[in-house]
Amino acid sequence: MAERPFSAVDPVALSGSALALIGAMTLPFVEFRTSRIGIATYHGISVAAPVGYALLVALLACVAVAVLVPPRTRGAWLKGVGGVALVALGWALGVAASHLLTDASSISRVSTGAGAWVALVGLAIVEFAGSQALPSRGARLAFDAAIVVALAAALVLGGAEQLSLAREYAANVAEFWPEVARHLELAGAGVGFGVLLGVPLGVLAWRSSRAQRVVLGVVGVIQTIPSLALIGLLIAPLAALRVASPLLASLGLSGIGATPAVIALTLYALLPVVRGTYVGLAEVDPGAIEAGRGMGMSPTQLLLRVEMPLALPLLVDGIRTAAVLDIGIASVMFFAGAGGLGVFIFEGVGQVAPDLTLLGALPVIVLALIADGLLRALREASVSPGLRGEQS
Amino acid sequence: MIRFEQLTKRYDDRLAVDHLSLEVPDGRVCVLIGPSGSGKTTTLRMINRLIEPTGGRVLIDGRDTASLPTEELRRSLGYAIQSVGLFPHFTVAENVATVPRLLRWDKQRIRERVREVLALVGLEPDDYAARYPRQLSGGEAQRVGVARALAADPPVLLMDEPFGAVDPLTRGRLQGEFARIQRELRKTVVFVTHDVDEAIRLADLIAIMRDGRLVQYDTPETILDHPADGFVHDFVGADRALKRLGRVRVADVMRADVPHAAAEDAAALAKRDGGAGYAYVVDAEGRLLGWVDARMVREGRPCEEAVTRVRVEEASVGVDATLKEALSRMLGFGFRAIPVVDDAGVLLGEVGLDAAEAATEPGSRASQLRERSADGAPR
Repeated sequence: MAERPFSAVDPVALSGSALALIGAMTLPFVEFRTSRIGIATYHGISVAAPVGYALLVALLACVAVAVLVPPRTRGAWLKGVGGVALVALGWALGVAASHLLTDASSISRVSTGAGAWVALVGLAIVEFAGSQALPSRGARLAFDAAIVVALAAALVLGGAEQLSLAREYAANVAEFWPEVARHLELAGAGVGFGVLLGVPLGVLAWRSSRAQRVVLGVVGVIQTIPSLALIGLLIAPLAALRVASPLLASLGLSGIGATPAVIALTLYALLPVVRGTYVGLAEVDPGAIEAGRGMGMSPTQLLLRVEMPLALPLLVDGIRTAAVLDIGIASVMFFAGAGGLGVFIFEGVGQVAPDLTLLGALPVIVLALIADGLLRALREASVSPGLRGEQS
Repeated sequence: MIRFEQLTKRYDDRLAVDHLSLEVPDGRVCVLIGPSGSGKTTTLRMINRLIEPTGGRVLIDGRDTASLPTEELRRSLGYAIQSVGLFPHFTVAENVATVPRLLRWDKQRIRERVREVLALVGLEPDDYAARYPRQLSGGEAQRVGVARALAADPPVLLMDEPFGAVDPLTRGRLQGEFARIQRELRKTVVFVTHDVDEAIRLADLIAIMRDGRLVQYDTPETILDHPADGFVHDFVGADRALKRLGRVRVADVMRADVPHAAAEDAAALAKRDGGAGYAYVVDAEGRLLGWVDARMVREGRPCEEAVTRVRVEEASVGVDATLKEALSRMLGFGFRAIPVVDDAGVLLGEVGLDAAEAATEPGSRASQLRERSADGAPR
């Protein structure tokens, strides 16, 4: 076989590592403020010396791996070298913070700068490319776990707790975890009710063409209503209902708080769940349905034994989409008075404290990624081996 | 016995099935055939009420099917369709067990029956029971479809082009095996096809339909010899003599006693005076390896070279094949005779062109054989 040089370059890993390298070299690595809301001064990566230079070397190594290592072993190299670079990044942030804060006053702040963020994004791309190139799922999980542990250790030992984000966390730790739990409760309730309501609606849409137009139309329209507007629309009728019915009021129904939030999140979860159910059912082989009916299955037996199991992969995909969506939208439910991580995001915006906003926003991203991964795993586990390999 | 009485299906102002009356005697294969839109599939589906008749009725053993709960009716009728419709999330064994499960048989009985019926359709249970449909070839899937239809041992089988979706070679083999199974089980079968050769091969009775009406209902022989009208004549086609060969099983007309020997003795056997001038070469188990032609041996070539080693599946026919297939192979290879082998490739005998000639003569032994087996056909 003719070996063309560079014919096997991994373009994804190359662009990710180049992005990280250029970002780390050219953009400010950290920002320094004399107070939480003071004017920022910007510092390049040299402020994190010598770990910062180790980071640059590791990023350069990532570029080399993307270009030079043959595809057969590239996955492990990318994950390994990318992991080292991530650890160096976390450590360098701590070093920079310690360095800048040694003779500054206690109200001074050091925040993560654009260069560090770009390096983080670039390295995430490198890790993604590495995962794609690693055939074994076990190896991927082992690498990911090792990297998370090492990165956490580097952040703690390197002194990253002095970063502004960590100080916002320390200042708000009493509310942080309860708001995370609250956020998950809101999103979980929205997805849960969305599934309870959406699956029957999807089945209904599939069984009757008249219901199909109405159901798919309505859930589609709901999706187009902006979340703030939907909350606003819910407040008045719910408040009226509370006044009209003391029973509902005693059950906790109210115009603000959890009630409108969960209703809104349920409505947003409907579209992906209904559509997943409907499309899943619509894609069931008509031959299998005819055979099932012809052999004497009742409509319920056909639904439970044949149609739903075959629709399951797309249904779980719909639930996954709904979960990611609701975890995001739950941030806005702060405006309904329902709490959640939106509290930090919008307080941060109000106080012009970007790190407080990040304290709310970063966990939302992490929660969404975790929900996505768990539901992908659920799909793998719940789908018959007879269907594997057919869907991507 | 299945009996249609004035069975009618109307869609708006179109009659898909128009006052159809006929009877399928117990243990017989009735093939419904006709051009598309002739109402054959609609008729079939009115038997298990996947389509509800607009008028008339279907009686099975004297009971009006409309008087039974639909699910109970369907569970008592085997059903196999062209698209097979295997459940992709179930294993082969679970697919075959569908109706027994609906009938709440106990687990042990289901397990035994699944193995039995898989073996019946020629699938080794240990190999196939745990597979999923996506791991099957088209022919294997169709076999599983037939096994599933037979699983609860229904007295009646409804088959809608069950071998329609596979290549011609596989279709021929499946037809042969279906004929074998049917000789063994004697189900009452209603079989829909648009393939005249398939109808002639498998039917005890052929019902030719056109525009929802029954045009002719008779034995294949009668339909070939005495088509009711110009439509049937044209539908059956001009090559009726050739089609008649499709009625004759190789097993019924082959010569069992053919010269055969191991490789080292075959040349002597072929050269023997008064012999056939050739001899088949078989291995120790009797499996066909090739043959030796006396002329080639006389020309002084070494014996090894004279043994024509053949691909058994190409230059031979199975015992379940029809004379039509055998003739086609003979003409294809330029042979005057072709060896007959069983499933394992063991040489059983040969059929020659003379058998085909004999079978196409009216009143021949071969056609009498078939006519006797289809006696009592109602008209």
